[in-house]
Amino acid sequence: MKASRKSSAVDGQLACVIDDDESVRESLPDLLKEFGFVVRTFSTAEEFLLSDSIDLADCLILDVAMPGMGGLELQRELISRDRKIPIIFITAQRNEADRDKALKLGAVEFLYKPFSDIALLEALKVALSQH
Amino acid sequence: MDRQIEGASLDTRRLQRCIGDLVSLLALPAVWRGSEPQQIGRTLLDALLRMLGLVFIYAQLKDPVADATLEIFRLADPFTLGVQPETIRQMLGDWVTGDAGNALTALRRHIGNIDVSLFPVLLGLNGELGIIVAGSERADFPEQTEGLLLNVGANQACVALQEATLLSEQKRIAHELEQRVTERTEALAQANEDLRNEIVERKLVEQKLRQEEHELKRSEERWRSVFENSAVGVAITDLNGRFIATNPVYQKMLGYGRDELQHLTILEITHEEHIEHSRTLVGDLLDGKCRQFQVEKQYRRKDGLSVWARNNVSIVPGTEGEPRFLMTLSEDITQRKLSEEALAKAESELANLTKITSLGVLTASIAHEINQPLSGIITNADTCLRMLSGTSPNIEGARETAQRTIRDGNRAADIIKRLRTLYSKKSPQLESIDLNEAARAVGSMLQSEMLQKRVTLRFELAEYVPPVLGDRIQLQQVMLNLLRNGAEAMSTVVDRSRDLVINTGQDEDGHVWLSVKDVGIGFQPQAIEKLFQAFHSTKIDGMGIGLSISRSIIEAHYGRLWASLNNGPGATFSFAIPCEPKSEECDESRSHPADKPSDAASSEAVIEVRRGDTKV
Repeated sequence: MKASRKSSAVDGQLACVIDDDESVRESLPDLLKEFGFVVRTFSTAEEFLLSDSIDLADCLILDVAMPGMGGLELQRELISRDRKIPIIFITAQRNEADRDKALKLGAVEFLYKPFSDIALLEALKVALSQH
Repeated sequence: MDRQIEGASLDTRRLQRCIGDLVSLLALPAVWRGSEPQQIGRTLLDALLRMLGLVFIYAQLKDPVADATLEIFRLADPFTLGVQPETIRQMLGDWVTGDAGNALTALRRHIGNIDVSLFPVLLGLNGELGIIVAGSERADFPEQTEGLLLNVGANQACVALQEATLLSEQKRIAHELEQRVTERTEALAQANEDLRNEIVERKLVEQKLRQEEHELKRSEERWRSVFENSAVGVAITDLNGRFIATNPVYQKMLGYGRDELQHLTILEITHEEHIEHSRTLVGDLLDGKCRQFQVEKQYRRKDGLSVWARNNVSIVPGTEGEPRFLMTLSEDITQRKLSEEALAKAESELANLTKITSLGVLTASIAHEINQPLSGIITNADTCLRMLSGTSPNIEGARETAQRTIRDGNRAADIIKRLRTLYSKKSPQLESIDLNEAARAVGSMLQSEMLQKRVTLRFELAEYVPPVLGDRIQLQQVMLNLLRNGAEAMSTVVDRSRDLVINTGQDEDGHVWLSVKDVGIGFQPQAIEKLFQAFHSTKIDGMGIGLSISRSIIEAHYGRLWASLNNGPGATFSFAIPCEPKSEECDESRSHPADKPSDAASSEAVIEVRRGDTKV
């Protein structure tokens, strides 16, 4: 069912959610589906890198603090692979340094949890326009 | 014819008798051997008197032994002459001695009743041995044979006398010799005795010396054994630190051979970070400020590795022949140090994680954990609203999101519950605390840790500070944190003494303050606020959390915590807490503080619960 607030710009693009937190992996996909995305979730960055989503994803919603490869590391890895996927970071930690780094490397947005659906939507719009 | 025969037989008899007498006379000397001259004389005279039928016989004999003249007078029959023997003797004596210069001749004299022929016979050449005077009644005395007898007798007497002389001389010599021999023997015996005594004495002395030598050798062996077999390293050096002797344990610990060490000094094998400290300690020892010291230090082995040792160094007083020297007992504690360091690290990690507050202050880590389910809740709720809005609501979807919301809510509750048990504590123990005393307690607790880090803790506390009201454990935790931070900041300092100075004082507005000043690497002024941020950390073990929580504790005590850079190297971290209201020294009026190190920035904790106001 499409909600009235659904942006016409979103039309079945693939959004990948990478977060080690179960609550996020449970709640975010539904919201994104409401926005009109197709969603795939991963609990680790490595998992994502091994999958085929790396070539198919239209945008990433990425946690910063994860066991193993962190969000910022994944960002750098994708840059080194020359895979330009728009990234929206979500994190519970307020860390200005990380925020600066991420934005400098081209992240679309750096959101602090808990974030509002509006803020997320705005960011996603920007992400799709970049793509 | 008869007369001729008679005459002949008279002659024969006379001759026979004469021969017999001669034989007797000749035999006499044998008898005389060993006799005294007197005896010889008497025997001879008696024999002659009888043989020659004399009236008397007189002799003067030179006694060679007594060196005197012996006078002997034998009278055949006193009555014949009718004169006293004494008189005759006298007369004869005079006659003999009177004519000593002239040759005596025989003569006939009237003595007493009769006429007597006096016939002298000289003994020896020229009468040096004496003279015999024979007195006979007969005028024709002496006849040939009689004369012969007298001469023979006199000769024999001479012989005997000479022999007697010789004999006595011999005797005398023998006696003298004997005496001298005796003397000499005695002397020799004495000398022998003395020698023997000396030998005995010398032997005793020698024995004693040998015994002492033996004892000394045994003692030396024993000490050498102790030295060589000691379980700890032993090193003997001169006052400049140059090695005189080392034992195998010490050599092994340092990886040097015995001879190699002889060319080295202690400072040359000391780890560079410990050289100054070692120098100071030895200096104190030589100045007499102490008689021994203990230190834990590092050496540089020959192969470049470092070892930790616990040393006990003492100064050994000199003797007449030996100067003073230093003795070091050295125990390898490298293993222990490594264990200690590992333990300290584990402890500090644990301390970082340990609950240190019960005032309900939530750290960023708590916030971090709670934020996850919170985020979930909000997202689910957003989704739920979206699903319910619009022309055809997605009831199923909404139901599911609502359920997830509840789940997330429960998760959050669980987290809080878990964190609460982790951070729970009894209600704060408020008591009256003397910051000086609390600071010293913390100092002593950190003593070995500071020793290991070669940090010198200096307490320059105010003589008196009024007590503050607070939780002792928490305040001590703050001090611990500041001290450890200070030590950490100096961990790369090698060219100056790692001094950590603790000051306390009281200011005019009723606050008691404590500061910890280091000479470390300091911090960037613009980064000061970052120091207090929960996750700011330039170190692996995350001391940043410590400062953040320390500040919270102090603020909960109505105080404040701040940092400033020193004029020289390093930084000073301070906190000030109001003093206990009840104490009389405490000034109730609270005016703004002056002359304290300035507060560089205001605090910012992510989530905190403040009690009361905080004065800035």
